[in-house]
Formats: sequence, C-alpha cells, structure tokens
Amino acid sequence: MGPRRVIVAVADTGSLIHLEEADALDLLSTVDELVIPQTVYDELEVGDDPPTLSSIAHEVVRARQNLTQVDHSLDPGETAALNAAIGRDAVLLTDDLEARNVAEDENVEVYGSIGVIALAYTRGRTSKQEAADLMRALQRETSLFVTDAVIERGISLLQAEGH
Amino acid sequence: MTAEITDRVQELAESEILERALERGVEDLWTDLVLARYVDGEIDRARAIKLVGRDHVKRAEREVKAVEDDITWGLDA
Repeated sequence: MGPRRVIVAVADTGSLIHLEEADALDLLSTVDELVIPQTVYDELEVGDDPPTLSSIAHEVVRARQNLTQVDHSLDPGETAALNAAIGRDAVLLTDDLEARNVAEDENVEVYGSIGVIALAYTRGRTSKQEAADLMRALQRETSLFVTDAVIERGISLLQAEGH
Repeated sequence: MTAEITDRVQELAESEILERALERGVEDLWTDLVLARYVDGEIDRARAIKLVGRDHVKRAEREVKAVEDDITWGLDA
C-alpha cells in the first residue's frame, strides 16, 4: 500500500444536508482538509434545521470566480463550491448530478455522500456493515434522490472489497 | 377536529386529487421497479427504455456511474 493521499475537499450544501440527515455528518472529518464556502454556509442557515458543523474541523472561504463558464443550471452554493474546488485543486463533494457533470467538464474530481462513507470505511472510521447501513439510510431517510437498486449496487461493490 | 377531517376526506373524495395521486404513485413505483430490474441486469436497456422512457434510463445510468465512482474513490483513497 502506498502513502495515504491527502484529501482536500470542498462541500456543497446538498452533501452536508444529506450526511446530516443520515446522521453521518461527523464522517466528513475523514477528509484531511474540509473547505466550506461562505455561500454554502449561508444556504444552510436558511434551512429549518441547519447541520451542526462546529464538531468538524473546517475552513470557511469566500470563493472567487474560477469556472470557465457560468452554468445557470447550478445553484449559488454549488457554483461557489465548484469555484473553491478549482482554486484549491480540491475534490468537490456534491450529490447533484448536474454539478457533477459541470465539475467533470472543468476537470475537477467530484464525489458525493456515498464516497464520503466509503472513505470513512477505508480509513477505519466505520465497519463495512455500518457503511452499508449508512448508505441505505442516505437513500431511505434523506432528501437525496437515488433509487434503491443503485444504492444496493454500491453496497455490493463495497462488500466485494477485501479489506 | 374529527368532523373537520371527515369534511376534508369528503372533499378530496369528490375531487380527482386522490385518483391522480394514486395514478402518480403507481407510475413512480412502476418506474422504480423497471429501473431496479435494469440496474440489476434482469432486463436489457432497450426493454427498460420501452417501459419507462429514455430519460429515466439515462438518469439511472448516471446514478449508477456516480455511485460506482464514489465507491471506487472511497476505497482507493
């Protein structure tokens, strides 16, 4: 096994909300540096029950415009997170498929809440069974839109892994 | 309160809302079932498109790729 990769990640609003709803927000501390744009913070504050981020080490930033093109299909938080990820050569964390498409067009590494859970398993924060349960919770108990069969496909990949 | 609920049920029953809600619910369940069978490899792509439409199938394919990318990243990082 090679040296552990240092992961700098920028989270958008949706990924934070989904992880909070699945009671898995603390797993974000698995990444080495977590960045949250001020715009995302502001979007979270508008919600009825904003996630409690105080227990997770993170840096709040004001993102500059780095996107090569403004994409009007993204909301301000997704745009800010993508801009911040481009500026830092960081991973973007989003569960929005359109934001993933735009990030890939901008050559930004992009993953979602499922990836955070898989990462937490790899880094010893959860057992394989806990990770599988959290993935099912993401599908059943949060506003994340993904079909049951797709989540089960992901869990089967996780369970086939030989750690 | 009970009378109020009864009135609401009565009003809903007389409208087409319940019927439309039921139809929409059945449609959603049907789409989920077809996509689950497609993702699980029980039916092929052409059959899935015929049953629920290309947009739903493409969305499911995008979801599968996103989840697979996520798991691969999480396990390799």
